[in-house]
Amino acid sequence: MALVYKGIDRKLAARMQGRIGPPIRQPFLDLGKLLVKETVIPRTAVRWAFSLMPFLAVVASATVLLYLPIGPFSPVLSSYGDLILVLYLLAVPAIAMAIGGFAAGSPYAAVGAQRELVMLMSYEFPLAVVVVALAWRVAGLGVGPAFSLATLAANPLWTQVGPLGVLGLVLLLLALLVVTPAELSKIPFDIPEAETEIAGGLMVEYSGANLALFYLADALKTVAMAALVVALFVPYGIAAPLGIGGVGGQILDLAFFFVKLFCVIFAAVTTVRVAFARLKVDQIARGFWIPLTAVAVAGLLLLVLDKAVVG
Amino acid sequence: MILKTLFSQLLTRPVTNRFPVKYMPRSVTGLLRKVEEGKAKIHPPVPVPESFRGKLAYDREKCIGCQLCIRVCPASVIKFKPEEKKIRIHVARCTFCSQCVDACPVGALSMSQEFLLADYDRFSENLVVE
Amino acid sequence: MESKTFEIPIGPVHPALKEQIRFTFQVEGERIVGVDIKPGFAHRGIEFMGMHRNLVQVLYLAERICGICSISHPIALIQAVENAAGIEVPPRAQYIRVIVAELERIHSHLLWAGVAAHELGFDTLLHLTWKVREKVLDILEELTGNRVNYAIPIYGGVRRDIAAEQYPRVQDMIRYYRGLFEELCDRFLNDASVEARTRDVGVLEPEEAEELCAVGPTARASGLRKDVRQDWPYLVYGDLGVKAITPEDYGLETRGDVYDRIVVRLLEVGQSLSIIERCLEEMPEGEITSIPKIPALLAQLKKAEGEGIGRHEAPRGEVIHYVRLEAGVEAPVVWKVKAPTYSNLLSWYPMFEDQEIADIPIVAASIDPCICCMDRVHLVRGGRKELVWKEELLKLSWEKTKRIAGHGLRITGANDERA
Repeated sequence: MALVYKGIDRKLAARMQGRIGPPIRQPFLDLGKLLVKETVIPRTAVRWAFSLMPFLAVVASATVLLYLPIGPFSPVLSSYGDLILVLYLLAVPAIAMAIGGFAAGSPYAAVGAQRELVMLMSYEFPLAVVVVALAWRVAGLGVGPAFSLATLAANPLWTQVGPLGVLGLVLLLLALLVVTPAELSKIPFDIPEAETEIAGGLMVEYSGANLALFYLADALKTVAMAALVVALFVPYGIAAPLGIGGVGGQILDLAFFFVKLFCVIFAAVTTVRVAFARLKVDQIARGFWIPLTAVAVAGLLLLVLDKAVVG
Repeated sequence: MILKTLFSQLLTRPVTNRFPVKYMPRSVTGLLRKVEEGKAKIHPPVPVPESFRGKLAYDREKCIGCQLCIRVCPASVIKFKPEEKKIRIHVARCTFCSQCVDACPVGALSMSQEFLLADYDRFSENLVVE
Repeated sequence: MESKTFEIPIGPVHPALKEQIRFTFQVEGERIVGVDIKPGFAHRGIEFMGMHRNLVQVLYLAERICGICSISHPIALIQAVENAAGIEVPPRAQYIRVIVAELERIHSHLLWAGVAAHELGFDTLLHLTWKVREKVLDILEELTGNRVNYAIPIYGGVRRDIAAEQYPRVQDMIRYYRGLFEELCDRFLNDASVEARTRDVGVLEPEEAEELCAVGPTARASGLRKDVRQDWPYLVYGDLGVKAITPEDYGLETRGDVYDRIVVRLLEVGQSLSIIERCLEEMPEGEITSIPKIPALLAQLKKAEGEGIGRHEAPRGEVIHYVRLEAGVEAPVVWKVKAPTYSNLLSWYPMFEDQEIADIPIVAASIDPCICCMDRVHLVRGGRKELVWKEELLKLSWEKTKRIAGHGLRITGANDERA
């Protein structure tokens, strides 16, 4: 499913640039091709780290999906972890890529890994602020464990807050949508993997099965991030308002969930990817620490104010 | 802003020409075979203007064997056949400058519009004009 | 804790470079503290080949020195030979040469704009610019028969005429580009992310540009008003009154950074459009070449004796060809090519100071390097490759000048030194 979304993303980006673009099944073909190619490990690499990291990245991304509500279904492992765990798990693929870059023993990979770590430090803060803001508000409602995603999904906050809160929520949504391409290393924030500058950055020495795993991890992380955005902000189902119950209703909800995922990916990843140039790492770091954190904190403050006003 | 262009392009036909086929086929030689048998169609390339400098065309009757074309060719494409006093052109080396066309006093050489000249063999029939 | 300096090689094979050249950067973290440039990977021995072919064949060799500046080299060579041999050129031929040269300038600048966008990571602009470049390539194909390597000029004139029915198509193209010009400028110059990446990056001060003999848009972006079409009018540029363009013409103060270079190149596209329009209107009727028969041309070139210099404002700057002919010898006895990138190469050093690794591709691309035009130096002594230092290079050049000013050049195998 993740690869289908990746295919759609590439196709739409190409159409927006006036090209035909690859067929939607292209990522599957890419993955298959990578799996049959030879895996080359450079002589200067640290072997165990080099081969372990892609695996770790895939596992972490897949695990995140298990903690997110998919359509009408509750998160599979909701009793074993909550939103804070999701936050940590989202950071793991990035760290895995960075360690893999350092382990590769190439100057390009080292530069890419340094940049990845700087970016990780930059976008974690606004992301944490957004999550904490939402969780705190839900805790204020007193309907269940605060950081659990199931609770958030069952009680969308748009209807629970006053007008100030709605504005706050909009700001938080905006911040999260800007964090999304940074998390996924997409233009304008794809400096760790800059193609023209450092020839692929941290991925430069990876080939064959290792690269296939990183490719898959990237696709899974896209879906995971989008699902997180959907779960936090628009967890609505469509079956209940339409009055369709039972299995048909669940299928409809699931389909609606996929449509919502597509919308988030289109807005935050595809469109942004083709509309901007790549920003430099110091511009990204400054941009995330100062303006974006300010936006997220403003959203949080508005929520607090709203609670104080509404009660 | 650039978003306007992006969205309008999303809804219009892409500018890329679909020559020869839209997506990469599973086997290129298989596709070519199917085209020869008439089972598949290839999208034609963009048409070229009339004064396009394509493959050389040689009119044997008009040629008088003066070897002027050989003197001006920068790539040693043309070889003289002394027994017949005619020439042989190796298109594989040709740079398509058409200087030989200008040099020929009787107009025996001209440039056609053919440009799909890829081949495995340098001396194949398609690439030697006599 | 003192920071360690790393060395990062960029090239010869690298996605940021369109052609092979080797950089070695000393970096501390992301900041560049030193750079070493080593060219020589695209040397093909063209001057050597030229000395074994007659002049008409050499013309096509010169055309293929570079694909994008593909008419600049023939125009310079032809002027050199016409000066040396004293061949007259009819006025209509000169106008046609100017038209094709300006069309090539438009093509080259649009291509560069797309490449610069790609180096910034902005692939959409790459595709947009290259989409609009298709129009000028179609016109070139219509007029000359090929999209690059136009084979239009010949000694004494041009080979093809522009027919009356082709005029409307050229004018259509000019209208199309005029309509797009605003949008192009807007996309490149008013986009926030492009500005963030190119403003105050790769700065070349006017004094440095003057000292390092920068040419072309690189020099003009630093404020120097240097243009071969203005300073040494050749062909019909004197009648057209072409002026060098600097960022002040766009209303900006000159800072000499990458942004200014984008401005200069885009404005030059507009200037070329006006030049083509005027040429089409003012072009006189007449013959297109003064020596139509090839045997007569070859005979005249064989008899010719003398030396000549031809200059042209290629899209990248000033290209100079020097030719020395001797009576009775069909090949040029000496042929020296100085490509514009050769002069702009040294301006990379001050541009890279204090930049980040992320700036390397765009600064490298901002002088529009055409390494294949440029590579002329490759010293092989007895099979070993060496670096030549300044004093020795000067000594070698003196020796070569003595040889050239004397009685021709004798080629002696392994001791072949072309500096």
